[in-house]
Amino acid sequence: MQTIIPSPGTVFKTLLKADFITQWRNRRSVILVMLVPLLILISWQPLIKTLGGPFVLSNCITTGLTAIGLMAYSTSIARDRDKGIFQRIRVAPVPTWSIMMSRITVQLAMICFMTLTVFIVGYAKAKILLEPAGYVLGFLATLVGGVLYLGLGQAIVGLVKNSETVNATSRLIYSIFILIGMLGELGTLGKQVALIAKWSPYGTVRRLISDSLHPASWNMDTNFALLATIGYAALFVGLGIWKFKWETK
Amino acid sequence: MEPITTELVLEVYNLHVFYGSLHALNDVSFDVKAGEIFGLLGPNGAGKTSTLSAIEGLLKPKSGKIIVGGFNSREKPLHAKASLGVQLQATSFQPELTVLEIIQLFAGIYGLPMSKEKIMRLLQDIRLEDAVAKRFAQLSGGQQQRISLAISMIHNPKLVLLDEPTTGLDPQSRRQLWERMEGMREKGHSIVLTTHSMEEAEAVCDRIAIVDHGRVIAKGTPAILIAQHQNDPDVIKASRRGKITLEDVFIGLTGKAIRS
Repeated sequence: MQTIIPSPGTVFKTLLKADFITQWRNRRSVILVMLVPLLILISWQPLIKTLGGPFVLSNCITTGLTAIGLMAYSTSIARDRDKGIFQRIRVAPVPTWSIMMSRITVQLAMICFMTLTVFIVGYAKAKILLEPAGYVLGFLATLVGGVLYLGLGQAIVGLVKNSETVNATSRLIYSIFILIGMLGELGTLGKQVALIAKWSPYGTVRRLISDSLHPASWNMDTNFALLATIGYAALFVGLGIWKFKWETK
Repeated sequence: MEPITTELVLEVYNLHVFYGSLHALNDVSFDVKAGEIFGLLGPNGAGKTSTLSAIEGLLKPKSGKIIVGGFNSREKPLHAKASLGVQLQATSFQPELTVLEIIQLFAGIYGLPMSKEKIMRLLQDIRLEDAVAKRFAQLSGGQQQRISLAISMIHNPKLVLLDEPTTGLDPQSRRQLWERMEGMREKGHSIVLTTHSMEEAEAVCDRIAIVDHGRVIAKGTPAILIAQHQNDPDVIKASRRGKITLEDVFIGLTGKAIRS
């Protein structure tokens, strides 16, 4: 009966494999998460000439990020906490950070997959072609925005214990973000809402991605959007880590 | 049966745990020897699960010392955890994973390379070889419990903690689990078991501790506890059949009032 302590790398790799399998088995929900940005992309095709390809693509990607952070990530964490799955892993010689890092890595992979799909469908269906630097910068901006939304999902599971309530809260915030973010920025809901939407997490991430997809349009406003995005991300991640409890009792 | 040695696999000293202002564990101390089945008995909310949670590293005690397999749980938490096998009261595995994938996950977490053949042998031992490709959610309660116990033993730990393992099991499954526990003891493993069943405690435990209101109020072998308390007026009052049983001692010491 010797005591073996596996290396953190081995533990992380094992957890990651299990989390990827879980994600794969939940591919129906992955498809649903992908569906909304793709529907927006296809239905907004006639608006591309007036709004521009980067604007439409950035809206699609931001919607996808919102869905991944709020629907996929937060609900899966809440469910596993509720079922005691985390506690079962925590009683093993596992560094606590590796449990959450593995979950986050899977969601970051989802974000990359979603962004690539939007780029491909954008080109194939809507003939949106960007310069190579736009794709690279846009990809990086998406990852920064992804951290904000995963942080928001983490903050929700930190503040709300019950998994049903987490589910309901996430859906509500998702709907508000999509409605106010998309319609508000277009000015449909008035100037006041447009201003709020512009500086909301949805607006700052969308603008950051949009200007990254078209680097020539990067200006002072984009710098402020980047700063605001980092600020929101730090706030949500900090809140999520500070308030998170591994069990619901 | 292997003789119980004097080697201690678990030492708990002066444990204090608080939930806000509630003093959940108040100066709890006990030890468990190698090859011993130790029972923690107590009414609902007495502090049994809190004691186990502190040993498992799921909650931080305000003060006190826990040594598992020779490792101080504060100084070497991963070593202490690696010396432990745990079956939690309310536990689950990802329902999307198959039995094979769950075992591979925990083998990896404990740093054990496990071939599929080895996993099949493990499943044959618990008569679940047909369930290898089944998802955890598709198994019956008894099968889930067997998988959970097998995983708690996957790394051959010195000490296994079982939190109310027979709750909800039919008599056949319960008997089977008792036999498994005795088999584990024969191989030199120690077990800490929480239970509400006095029958179970008397049947399998070498020593027991009765916990109430966060304190250990009695400790010893079932026979010694009965002998020590058989003349207590509260124990005699609790007796229903004239002959004093462990349940009479338990009721006599903890009272008749129902706990929430």
